[in-house]
Amino acid sequence: MKRAHVSYKTFYKHFSNKEECFIALFDRALARTEERVREEVEASPRPWAEQVAVALRTVFEMIVEGRLVARAVVVEAPTVGPAMRERYEAAIEALVPLFAAGRELNPRGHELPATIEHTLAGSVFWSAYQRLVVGEVERLPEILPEVTELVLRTYLGQEEARRIARDQSARQPAAA
Amino acid sequence: MADEPLTRADVPAQLGPLPGGHHGLSREQILESQRERLLAAMAREVAVHGYRATTITGLVKVAAVSTRDFYEHFESKEECFLAAFEAIRDYVEGLVVEAAVEQPDWAREVIAAVRAALAFFAAEPDIARLCLVEPVSATPRIAVRFREAVLACIPALSRGRGEMEDGDLLPSSTEDSLIGGIVSLVTRSIAADETETLPALLPDLVDFILTPYLGTETAARIAAQAAAG
Repeated sequence: MKRAHVSYKTFYKHFSNKEECFIALFDRALARTEERVREEVEASPRPWAEQVAVALRTVFEMIVEGRLVARAVVVEAPTVGPAMRERYEAAIEALVPLFAAGRELNPRGHELPATIEHTLAGSVFWSAYQRLVVGEVERLPEILPEVTELVLRTYLGQEEARRIARDQSARQPAAA
Repeated sequence: MADEPLTRADVPAQLGPLPGGHHGLSREQILESQRERLLAAMAREVAVHGYRATTITGLVKVAAVSTRDFYEHFESKEECFLAAFEAIRDYVEGLVVEAAVEQPDWAREVIAAVRAALAFFAAEPDIARLCLVEPVSATPRIAVRFREAVLACIPALSRGRGEMEDGDLLPSSTEDSLIGGIVSLVTRSIAADETETLPALLPDLVDFILTPYLGTETAARIAAQAAAG
């Protein structure tokens, strides 16, 4: 700061603005993703499993599209700190109700662990986050079918989940 | 108190033995003692302030060493954090292997391993935070090291494929996804300062882990047994 001839006041004003700016940027990306997911899922009436597949596909597409912001999440996280964890938890909570609706399709749905929706949503974002950490965001579309299958399998069983996940990926054009 | 120097009792055994007294210690022993106090200081400071706000000044004060001493052991704050992380990782691995070795089958090994890990992190909230919560938002290098440590659990999980018919047909990312779910659930409790609830997660975690390999019914049954046991 001495060299830049900047006063403490000015420095911390800009520093705090940078953090806030980054958080605002990320929050906007999150809100846009939520909106897009809602649009896609509600675009036409669908069975639950298809809703899940569409939601996950949209989330991954938004991450790939917004890869600069997504990558910045990894790089800038040290700057933002605990606020990032809050956003992460919020993103997980956003998926929980959609997943939980799957319990009604399973006669033993009520026996599933109470935490399963959080665990599954956490696993979805973990998969995405890890690709970001190693700089392989373009691989997200590849892992989508498997991620979808894991979620669906919990509520519908192995065979049905695999069938639906494959159906979904067959319908989508291959990633560019 | 957070910023007071550590006493011998404060250094968790997992970060290395602390020799008694300074009389007649060799230089090697003194250095080892300093290093362990610095690692313990890192766990303490990071738990209180978070990685970013933790400073070398703060660390050396808590560890009761000089700044020069710090730089004899570590090049940077990041290096010190990584050393603490690796020391704990080794320790937990030992705990988990020891718990698993006496079990009659893979599913029971999983239960014993998860139970041992949860008990450890419940008993050591500062260490739990350093290991599981802080890494993803510390530095990119630390985040990658965290990923590597977590992925090292994959072989133990993929043995579950041997327990089922057509284990090779399970998606290749199954283990990675399982780990993601486990880390997510566990870190939620730690981040919320509710480490005492960690052991209660055992049945849910066991159910989650075993389901892809053993099917929902068997997994649920074994998980219920784990809860009772």
